[in-house]
Amino acid sequence: MSRSTRSLAALCGTALLFTAACGTESDVPESAGGDASPEEGAECAGADGEYLIGMSQANVAEPYRQQMDDDIEAAAAEVGQFEVVFADAAQDNAKQVADVENFLTQGIDLLIISPNEAAPLTAVVERAYNEGIPVIVLDRKIEGDSYTQFIGADNTEIGRAAGEYVATQLLPDGGTVAELKGLPGSTPAQERADGFREGVAANPNIEIIAEGVGDWLREKGQSQFEAILQAQQSIDVVYAHNDPMAEGAYLAAQAAGRESEMAFIGIDALPIPSGGIKAVEEGRLSATFVYPTGGKEAIATAEQILVECADVDKEQILETELITQENAAEVYARNATQ
Amino acid sequence: MSVDTTEPTAEAATKRRRFVIPERFFTLQSYVALILVFLAAIVFSPRRGGEIVFLNSENLLNIVRAVSEIGILAIGMTFVILIAGIDLSVGAILGLAATGTASLLMVHDFGVAMTILIILTIGLAFGATQGYLSARLGIQAFIVTLAGLQVARGLARIWSGGQGIALAYGDGADVAPRAFSLLNSRTFNGTVPIPALIFAGVGVIALIVVRKSVFARHVYAIGGNERAARLSGIPVTRVKVTVFAISGLLAALAGIIHAGQLNQGSPNDGMGYELDAIAAVVIGGTSLMGGVGTVSGTLAGALLLGILNNILALNNIDSNVQLLIKGVIIVAAAGIQAFRSQQK
Repeated sequence: MSRSTRSLAALCGTALLFTAACGTESDVPESAGGDASPEEGAECAGADGEYLIGMSQANVAEPYRQQMDDDIEAAAAEVGQFEVVFADAAQDNAKQVADVENFLTQGIDLLIISPNEAAPLTAVVERAYNEGIPVIVLDRKIEGDSYTQFIGADNTEIGRAAGEYVATQLLPDGGTVAELKGLPGSTPAQERADGFREGVAANPNIEIIAEGVGDWLREKGQSQFEAILQAQQSIDVVYAHNDPMAEGAYLAAQAAGRESEMAFIGIDALPIPSGGIKAVEEGRLSATFVYPTGGKEAIATAEQILVECADVDKEQILETELITQENAAEVYARNATQ
Repeated sequence: MSVDTTEPTAEAATKRRRFVIPERFFTLQSYVALILVFLAAIVFSPRRGGEIVFLNSENLLNIVRAVSEIGILAIGMTFVILIAGIDLSVGAILGLAATGTASLLMVHDFGVAMTILIILTIGLAFGATQGYLSARLGIQAFIVTLAGLQVARGLARIWSGGQGIALAYGDGADVAPRAFSLLNSRTFNGTVPIPALIFAGVGVIALIVVRKSVFARHVYAIGGNERAARLSGIPVTRVKVTVFAISGLLAALAGIIHAGQLNQGSPNDGMGYELDAIAAVVIGGTSLMGGVGTVSGTLAGALLLGILNNILALNNIDSNVQLLIKGVIIVAAAGIQAFRSQQK
C-alpha cells in the first residue's frame, strides 16, 4: 500500500515541478536576448589585441572534420594575435551545447562552430551571438540568422561539376554510369545526386543504369558495387558521392578483374594519405572534386572581424576544384597541413 | 556475499583484520571523491582577472544542467542496481521519449501536459514490461534490457521515419506550444536552468523515498539476499517490476527534458547514456552485486562526472584524454568497492 502511494507521490512531485517551473517563468527568453542586438565590432581591439577563439567541432572521427580542425589550426598559427581552443562533440548534440557553454565561460572572443545538427545547437549559438560574440558557422547551418557568417560549399554545384565532367570529358560520346549514394536522408547525398543529374543532362547519350546506397562508407560502397557488377555487364563510369565509396567500388571491380573497364570519380578530395587526392595521384580514381573545409577561410574571416574591425558578408560559398592526375600532386602540396 | 539488508552500518564484522579501513570511509567514499574533485577543479581552474572561472556561478549551474539528464537516469539506475539488476535500455528510452515528445507536440498537436503524460506513461510501461519479463520469466535483466534497447530505438526510428523532429514554437497547428520552451530556459532571473531544477527535484524525492519508504527497504532486502527476502514475505516480483518501471519513467522524463533542451527529438538521442548513468552509480559507491549503495552517492557520482568534464574542458584537455581519465576514476571507485567486500 505504502509503496504505491510513494510512487504516486513521486509522480505527482515530478508533475508539480513541471507546473511550478511553468508558473515562475515566462519572461526569460525574451529578456535574455529578444531586443538586445549584438554590438558587432564593439570589442574590436584591432591589431594590438589578443584573441581567444573557440572552435566547436561536431565529430572529429570523420576525416573531413579532422581536416577542418587542422586547417583552422594551421591558418591560426599564422596570425600572431590568435589562440584557438578546440572541442569535439563526438556526434552528441548535448555535448556540443556544453562545449559552447564552456567556451563562453572561458571568455572566448569569437566562436567558430560546425554544428552536429541545426535545431539543437541554435539556442546556444544564439546566446553566444547575443552576448556580442561573433559567430562563424561552418559547413552545416543553424536555424535563424543569429550568426555573423556562414561558410560552406554548395553540394548541388559540386554534383553538377561532376556531372559536367562526365558529360564532356569522360563520356563525350555517351555511355553508362553507376552511382553510389551517401546516407539516405542526408542533405549532401540528395544534393550531390540532384546536381549530378543536372550536369549530365547536357549529354543525352549518358544513362545512369544503376544506383547503390553506400552510406558514405568504403565497405558499403564495396559490397554495393559488387552487386552492381553482377547485374551490369557494361559500366563506363562510377560516380560515388564521396571518395571512400569510390575506393570501395574500385576494390570490388579489382576483385572482379574489371577495374580497367571503367573510370571512378569521387568527391571530397581530402589532402591526407588516405584521401581522394592520393587515390587520383596513384591512379585508382580518375577524378575527384574538392569539398572545401572552410577552415582557412574561417580564420581569414575572424581576422577581418577581430583584427581589421571590418564588416563581413553573411554568407561565403566556397568553390570546388577538379582534381585529376595533372594537378593532384600540386593540390595535395597546397592543401595539406602536415 | 553477506550483505546487510538495510543501509550499511555494520562495523562489527570488519574487526578480524589488523589493517582495516573503517566502514564509514566506504559509505562516504563518493562524497570524499566529489570534494576532492571539486577542490582539484578550483586549483586547476583557469583564472581571469583574479576570478576563478570554475567557481563562476553560471559555470556551476551549467555543470548541473549538463549532468541533469544523466543524473536523472542514474537515480533510476541506482534502484535497478540495488536489486542486483542492470538497465541498458535507459538511453534508448530517452531517445524514444525525446522523439515521441517532438512528434506529439509538432506533428500531432498535443498540448504540453498531455504530451508529458503520454510520454511518461510510455516510459513507465516500457520499464514495467522489462521488469515483468525479468522478474517473472527469470530472464537476466542484462538480456531483457539489451533487447529493450533495440526495441526502443526501433520504435523511435519507426515513429519519426528515421529523422530527427525539430521543435518550433508558436501558436496554432504544426508548432509546439511556447510553454514547452521553458525547458530550454532559466528561472530566478535567468540564472537557474530548469533542467537542473527538475534534476534537483527528482533527487530530493528519491532521497525521501530511500530514507522513509517500505519499498526502499524491500529493494535493499532483495538486493542483499533475494531468497531470504522472498521467504520473509516480500513481494519480490512486484518490487522488481516497480524498480524497472521507475527507471523507465525517469528515462522518459530525461527524454522530455532532452527534447526541450535541444529543441529536437531524434531517434539517435541518448546513445550511450546508459553507460554514463551506470558510471555515475558505480562512482557513487553502489555495488553491482546489489544491496549496497545510496541515492545520495549516485548524486555525488553524477556531479563528480559533470565537474570532471567541465574542468577538463575549461583547460582544453583533449576529449579523448577525458575518456581515459573517466575510465581510471570508474576503475578506482569499483576497486574500492571490491576491497570493501573482501574486508567483510
